[in-house]
Amino acid sequence: MSFAENISKQFAEVSNTNVVELRKNAFTAFEKLGIPSSRHEEWKYTNIKTKLNEQLSLTPADSQVNTTVKNYIASLPPYAFRIIFLNGIFHPELSIVPDTKGLTICSLKEAFSSHTSLVERYFGKLINYNEEHFAALNTAFVNDGAFIHVQKNVAINEPIYIQYFFTASDVNAFTQTRSLAIVEEGASIQIAEDFRNASNINVQYNHVSEVFVGKNASIDIVKLQLEVSNSIGIHTLESQVERDGKFSASTITFSSPNTGTGNALIRNNATARLIGENAHADLNGLYFGKENAHIDNHILVDHVAPNCTSNQLYKGVLNDESTGVFNGKIFVRQDAQKTNAFQSSKALLLSNDASINSKPQLEIFADDVKCSHGAAVGQLDENALFYQRARGITKEEATQILTYAFAHEVIDHVHSKPIRQFLCDKLKDELKVNF
Amino acid sequence: MLSIKNLNVGIAEKQILKDFNLEIKPGEIHAIMGPNGTGKSTLASTLAGKEDYEVLTGEVSFNGKNLLEMSADERAREGVFLAFQYPVEIPGVSTTNFMKAAVNAKRKHQGLEPMDAKDFLKLMKEKLALVEMNKEFTSRSINEGFSGGEKKRNEIFQMAMLEPTLCLLDETDSGLDIDALRIVANGVNQLKNKDRSFLIITHYQRLLNYIVPDYVHVMYGGKIVKSGGKELALKLEEQGYDWIKEENSELV
Ligand SMILES: Nc1ncnc2c1ncn2[C@@H]1O[C@H](COP(=O)(O)OP(=O)(O)O)[C@@H](O)[C@H]1O
Ligand SMILES: [Mg+2]
Repeated sequence: MSFAENISKQFAEVSNTNVVELRKNAFTAFEKLGIPSSRHEEWKYTNIKTKLNEQLSLTPADSQVNTTVKNYIASLPPYAFRIIFLNGIFHPELSIVPDTKGLTICSLKEAFSSHTSLVERYFGKLINYNEEHFAALNTAFVNDGAFIHVQKNVAINEPIYIQYFFTASDVNAFTQTRSLAIVEEGASIQIAEDFRNASNINVQYNHVSEVFVGKNASIDIVKLQLEVSNSIGIHTLESQVERDGKFSASTITFSSPNTGTGNALIRNNATARLIGENAHADLNGLYFGKENAHIDNHILVDHVAPNCTSNQLYKGVLNDESTGVFNGKIFVRQDAQKTNAFQSSKALLLSNDASINSKPQLEIFADDVKCSHGAAVGQLDENALFYQRARGITKEEATQILTYAFAHEVIDHVHSKPIRQFLCDKLKDELKVNF
Repeated sequence: MLSIKNLNVGIAEKQILKDFNLEIKPGEIHAIMGPNGTGKSTLASTLAGKEDYEVLTGEVSFNGKNLLEMSADERAREGVFLAFQYPVEIPGVSTTNFMKAAVNAKRKHQGLEPMDAKDFLKLMKEKLALVEMNKEFTSRSINEGFSGGEKKRNEIFQMAMLEPTLCLLDETDSGLDIDALRIVANGVNQLKNKDRSFLIITHYQRLLNYIVPDYVHVMYGGKIVKSGGKELALKLEEQGYDWIKEENSELV
């Protein structure tokens, strides 16, 4: 069976009766787009077509809780809100969702039946179906996911931790996961999305988050991709920010030692669309590549309304034969006067075989704007290394300390204190820095 | 404790130190003076183990060990300390964390456990007082945004923390106002003891009003051309380096 036949047969078998029209349209869009090859400009350095298995299985795999899942959950800090998914399927018995005034947290499946009009108003609305291969595919097939809604003027000060485990035993499984967050006027939340391979094979997954930031509302989202190795993960983060709203996203990617047959690929598409005056977006990222890991960050900040500000800060540390891609686009529309948009991408290449492709793009159609971008690729500062060694610190430790300092700046931007602390510890652990 | 014999050092194909000789005994304070570009920093950096400097020939022994065989960090753990002429700024690393790593590296070398947090804080407090530095400095990134004087005081603070036996001070006095100079000199004087030796590189005799050297050496053209007591520094202050240059015109 050809790839197209296989996918279309599977789509015909989908029994989901929610937003049928939208999903059909999404599928038609995907059929047109297909899986991009490296001839596609946006996929030039990430040859996803040759990496994904030919025979993809999009029907959700079983979702048995295994010991890896149990142990990891036990190791988590005591977050007040925790929602857990196995292969995209919600597990209420593993989740903690205390009743909180003005806050709804449930599975998308449940939201489709009990908050129908709300979900139908927002679900799938931020995706550009003519260009986004994987978001279209996800919309067509996704069966469940996380749903978060915060009512007007409600501030939630504890982070909402969403854990996506992958436990498939079928190497062809291409798991679709999803989150939808809606934060109404004047409300605020912090969200962490953690993606983890809990199987003993290489996993493939395709995740989409849609985030709606209302007027004067704020969302801080952290994406934790802490085990890139042994997985292929495609992430799409779509956000829309209204007047005076603030959106901040940090994507943290670590590769762990490869224990499987060697897949280690992450693609992050992150988009912030500033549609109301004085809106602000921070899109930050930190990535550590090891062995053969390939980490690709594609960012788009779309300045639609005037007087908005945006910042992009991406930092990468690439070891061994790992490769990075940074593609950051700032788009300033004609009406978006007085835009302030900044972008910085820095990568440390700690091995001769590591490499990065970095491409900043500014497309500016307004005349009164301030935009800047800077890209730097380099090694650690020799003088700073020597200064430390002159104090008795070994070259190896001095390297770790400088790498820690380099990386820490991104973690500093994470708003949620417990998540920031968690990441700080993770970073110290990774770099064996013990202060 | 330090014995330098016929040391020849080059950088970027150019020979800087030429048959350099110097003996320093425990507890002694030596001052090296000399015009710019004569190789003073080259000497200090070579002793500290900076790899850009190539030792062509010669021997350096430190407490009976071959210093030239050790890496820069090994030398530091063995008790060599260089107070940099141009201290390096390291964004994102606080002086506290830096010193924690350095103190514990030395302790590990001595077969000791890492210092516990309380003792470390106590030690920091004590050594900060020595250079009249505020605790707030230590939580800032190393040298970042520090004034010239603050950077130099930070060097002496680090020296006090690490308790080296050979202290190399490369123009620690340059660019200091009179108050900072007094503080730096005061710090050094308090660290003086019978086992700890100092090699103080300076341009001006000013510092030597505060730190009294046992020996003063004049360096020119990559070697010591004159040695004497502290009165030599006064003569240099009065007469400048011209007479040295004339006496040694064949060296350049
Ligand atoms: N990295 C370098 N590359 C080339 N020449 C250098 C370098 N560092 C120092 N030199 C040269 O070595 C000589 C001695 O410099 P230095 O030891 O710094 O002198 P001092 O400290 O006495 O002023 C100078 O001529 C200087 O230009
Ligand atoms: Mg000098």
